Amino acid sequence: MGMLRIGRFWSVIITFVLLYALIKWGIPAVSREVTDLPFPLPVPGTLIFFYMVLVTIALFLITTFSDEGMEEFVRPIRKLLRGEYSKTARAAVLIVVPLLAGWQVYDLTVPKIELPSSLRIQHPSSNFPKKFEELKNPFANPGEAEVTAFIEQAEAEEIAWIEQVQEDIERWQEEGDADNPLAFIPTAPWKKFLAELEDGDVKLATAKAALLEKNLFEGRALYAMNCRPCHGDSVAGDGPMADGFKLRPINFTDNGTIETIVEGYTFWRVRNGGPGLPTEATPWDSAMPEWKVSLTEEERWKIILAEYDLAEKTPRIPESH
Amino acid sequence: MRRDRKHGMVHDRFLVIAMLAALLSPLGAVPAAAKPVADAPMPEVTDAFLAEGEEIYYRRCSFCHGLLGDGEGPAAKYLDPRPRDFTLGTFKFRTTQSGELPQDSDLFRTVSRGLPGTGMQAFDGDLIKNGLDERQRWAVIAYIKTFAPEFEDEELDPVKTGKVVALPANRPAFSPELVAKGKEIFLRAKCWECHGKEGRGNGQKSFDRKDDWGFPIRIRNVTHPWKIKGGSEAEDIYMRFSTGISGTPMPSFVKALNEDERWALANFIKSLQHKLTEHQVLAVLPVDGEVPGTPDDGVWEQAQPMDVRLAGQVVAPPRWQNPSIEMVTLKAVANDREIAIRISWDDPFKDASHDEDQELNASELTKVGIFNSYVEANDQVPRALETFRDSIALQFSAKPISGSEKPHFLRGSSSAAVQLWHWMADREEAGERSVVEAVARGWRQPPKAQADDQQGVEGKAVWADGRWTVVMKRALTTEDKNDVQFVPGKFIPLAVNAWDGSNGEHGRIMSLSTWYYVFIVAPTPVSVYIYVVASILIMGGFGLWLVRVARNSQVGTGASTNA
Repeated sequence: MGMLRIGRFWSVIITFVLLYALIKWGIPAVSREVTDLPFPLPVPGTLIFFYMVLVTIALFLITTFSDEGMEEFVRPIRKLLRGEYSKTARAAVLIVVPLLAGWQVYDLTVPKIELPSSLRIQHPSSNFPKKFEELKNPFANPGEAEVTAFIEQAEAEEIAWIEQVQEDIERWQEEGDADNPLAFIPTAPWKKFLAELEDGDVKLATAKAALLEKNLFEGRALYAMNCRPCHGDSVAGDGPMADGFKLRPINFTDNGTIETIVEGYTFWRVRNGGPGLPTEATPWDSAMPEWKVSLTEEERWKIILAEYDLAEKTPRIPESH
Repeated sequence: MRRDRKHGMVHDRFLVIAMLAALLSPLGAVPAAAKPVADAPMPEVTDAFLAEGEEIYYRRCSFCHGLLGDGEGPAAKYLDPRPRDFTLGTFKFRTTQSGELPQDSDLFRTVSRGLPGTGMQAFDGDLIKNGLDERQRWAVIAYIKTFAPEFEDEELDPVKTGKVVALPANRPAFSPELVAKGKEIFLRAKCWECHGKEGRGNGQKSFDRKDDWGFPIRIRNVTHPWKIKGGSEAEDIYMRFSTGISGTPMPSFVKALNEDERWALANFIKSLQHKLTEHQVLAVLPVDGEVPGTPDDGVWEQAQPMDVRLAGQVVAPPRWQNPSIEMVTLKAVANDREIAIRISWDDPFKDASHDEDQELNASELTKVGIFNSYVEANDQVPRALETFRDSIALQFSAKPISGSEKPHFLRGSSSAAVQLWHWMADREEAGERSVVEAVARGWRQPPKAQADDQQGVEGKAVWADGRWTVVMKRALTTEDKNDVQFVPGKFIPLAVNAWDGSNGEHGRIMSLSTWYYVFIVAPTPVSVYIYVVASILIMGGFGLWLVRVARNSQVGTGASTNA
C-alpha cells in the first residue's frame, strides 16, 4: 500500500496526544456547534484527567496484550537508552525529561494570581418552591368570561389598557389620522377583531386572539421599560447595561434557556431574582432584580408572555403528577 | 502476524483521519459577518411593503419611538439620549451634507448596527438571532420615512441633489505620522474647545448644551469607543465632522478642512480610544518603602492597571439607566503594613458640593405597582452643576470569603455585610476626612458609617483635565470586625460604586460594577523550590537507572519485563 510504517511506540504516543486534543479542544468546538452558544463549553480539568487515565489504561492493555506487542513498544525506548540512535539524543532526553518534570512541579505548587474558579448552575431547582411549578400564565389563555368582558369593553369603547401605554395611545388617537381609534395595533388577529366589531358580530375565538394581542402589546411595553436595559430589544441579553455585568444577562434566543423551563419557574425567577437563587447558582453575581418589590403579579405575567413571544419560544409543559 | 499488524495500521490511520476531521470541522464554520451595508437597494415601496414595515415598527420600535413616530413611546422619558423623533426628518448620523436628509443607506446602517452608548441597539439579523433580515429592515425604514413629509419632496433628496459626502479617495493607513498630523488639526480646528485637550468631553464650552429638541446633551468623550454613537472606526469618525451631527452643536468641517486633513483628524481621534484590560484580579504591586499617599506619586507608574466596567444601577429601585461613569481604572500598591488603591475615571466636570434637599425621595419609587421604578432621564432629578457631589466607593466583603461565596454585589444582604470606602468630593474640597468607612447589609437601608475611632482610610484626590484620580490608603489589617482584612495569598472581592454629581447621581442613582478581586501575592514558600529540585533529581536518577538496566539486558524480551 506504500504507506508509512510508524511503529507501535509512535502509534501509542500519537493516539494519546490526539485523544487529549480531542477532549481538550475538539469537544468544546463541537459543543459550540451543537448548543449554538457564542462560546465553547470547556471540559472540566478533573474530567480530562479521568478520561486520560482511561486512555492510558486502554493503551497499556493493548500494548501488553502480547509479548510481541510489548517488545515492539519497548524496542525504540531501549535503543534510545543504550545510545544506539545517538549519544547526544540520549543525553538530551535524560536532561530534558527531568527538567520538564521539575517545571511541572513548580507550576503546580507555586502560588498564582488566578481567578478562583466557580462553577455555576444556570437553572438550579434545589430551592424552587413546588407551588410555582404548576402555575400557568393567566394572560396566555384567557377564559370565556374574560373574553366576553373584553368584547363588552371593546363595544363600549372602554378597553382597560394598563396605565403605562395610555399616554401613547391617547396621543395616537388625538393626533393620528386613522378612522378607527383602535387601529394602532396593525396585526392580523387585531384587524380581524376590529372588522367583526364593526359588523357587530364578534366571534369568541376572534376576540380571544385579540385579547392575547392586547396582552402582548402591554407586555412588550413593560418589557421595554423594565427589562430591555439589560436583556435588550431582541431579548438577546445584549441591552445597553449588559457590558457592565460580569455575569451577562441571559440571552433568551439561545437554545436551552427559557424553552427548557416551565412558566412557573420563569415567574419565580422574575419574582425573586438573583437574591432568590441557591448557592450553586452564585446569587451574589446575579444582577436579576427581585421584581416582586416593583412589579405587580399582572405586570410580571404580561412581561413573561411578551418575553416568550419576542424570543419565539414556548415554555416547557409541566409534567403531570 | 504481519498481516494482522497491517490491518491494525489501517485502522490507526482511519482513526487519525477521523479525529483530525472532527477537530477541524468546527473551525471551518465562520460566524456570519456584520452587514451594515445592504446587498441591494431598498425594494420598491408598495402599500403591502409599508404594511409589513408598519407591523415591524409596531412590534420592535414603537415602545421607544412611539406609535406616532415622535420619540415619545412608553420607555422614552427614561432614556438619555432620547429616542429619535422621526416626524422632524432630522437625523444625526448621515453621509450627507450638514442639515440634509439622510440617504437610505444611512438609515440602514443605523438600524443594522445600532447606536452604541444609547438605547438604540443593533437589529442586524445576521448578528442577532431575533433581529431583522435585510428585507424587514428595508420595510421598517420605508415606514419610518412616512413619518416625515420631507422624504416625499424630490428637491430634498440628497442623492438627486448631489448632497452626498463621500469618503476621501486617498485614505492612508493608520500611522504615527498621520496621528501627529491629525493632532495638529485637532488643535488648529479648536475641537478641544468642546471635547477637551484629552478628548474627554471636558472643554470649556461643554456644559449645558441643548439639542434642537431642548434636551441637554453632553459632549462626547471620544476616548471610550463603546460610547461613540456613529461608530468608532476612522471611516465613521470622518463622517461625523464631515457631515456634522444635525440637531446638535456639532458642526460640519467640510469647508474648514480638506479631505486629507479630515482623514488625519479621524485617525488622531481613533488613536485616543481606550483599550480595555480583560483581567479580573487586581495584582497589588509590592514595595519595600512607603506606599504612595498621593495620586501623582511615581510609584503608580509601575503598578498594573485593571479596568472595571460599570453599569447603571438597575438592580433595585430607584433604577438608573443613564450612568455617566462607565469605566474606572484601578491600581494598587502595598508594603508589609499598608495598602493603597488608586481609582481614576473620566468626569468632565468637578462637582464638589452637595445639596441634600434636592435628592430624590427614593421611597416614592420603591413601591409595588409604581408606574415605573426607573428614574426619568431629565425631569425627576436635577442634572446640573453645583447640585450633587462626585463620589466613588470601593466595596469589599466585610468577612473573609469561604470558597466562591460572597455577599451580593449590590451592597450585600442582612446575612452578608459589605464594607464601603466612600470617598466624597465635597469632603475633600472642605479639607475634611474625605473617605468614610461604612457598612451595608443590603440595598434597602443606606450604608451606616462606622464609629469615628474606627475610621482608618486616608483619601487624597485630584481632578485635572476631565479626570478624577483618588487614592485610598489603609493598614492591611485592623482590629475592627467590620473591616476588610488584606491577607497575602487570599482573593479579596472588590466592587465599585460611582456617582457623577452633575449627572444627577446620588444614593442608588449611580453606576456600579459586579465583583472583581484584589490579590496580594504571598512570598513563594521555600518548600516549592525543594519540591522542584527533588523532582528533577528523582527523574534524573530514574533515567540513569533505566540506562543501566537497558545496557545490562542483552536479550530483548527479558529486559522489557524487567523495565
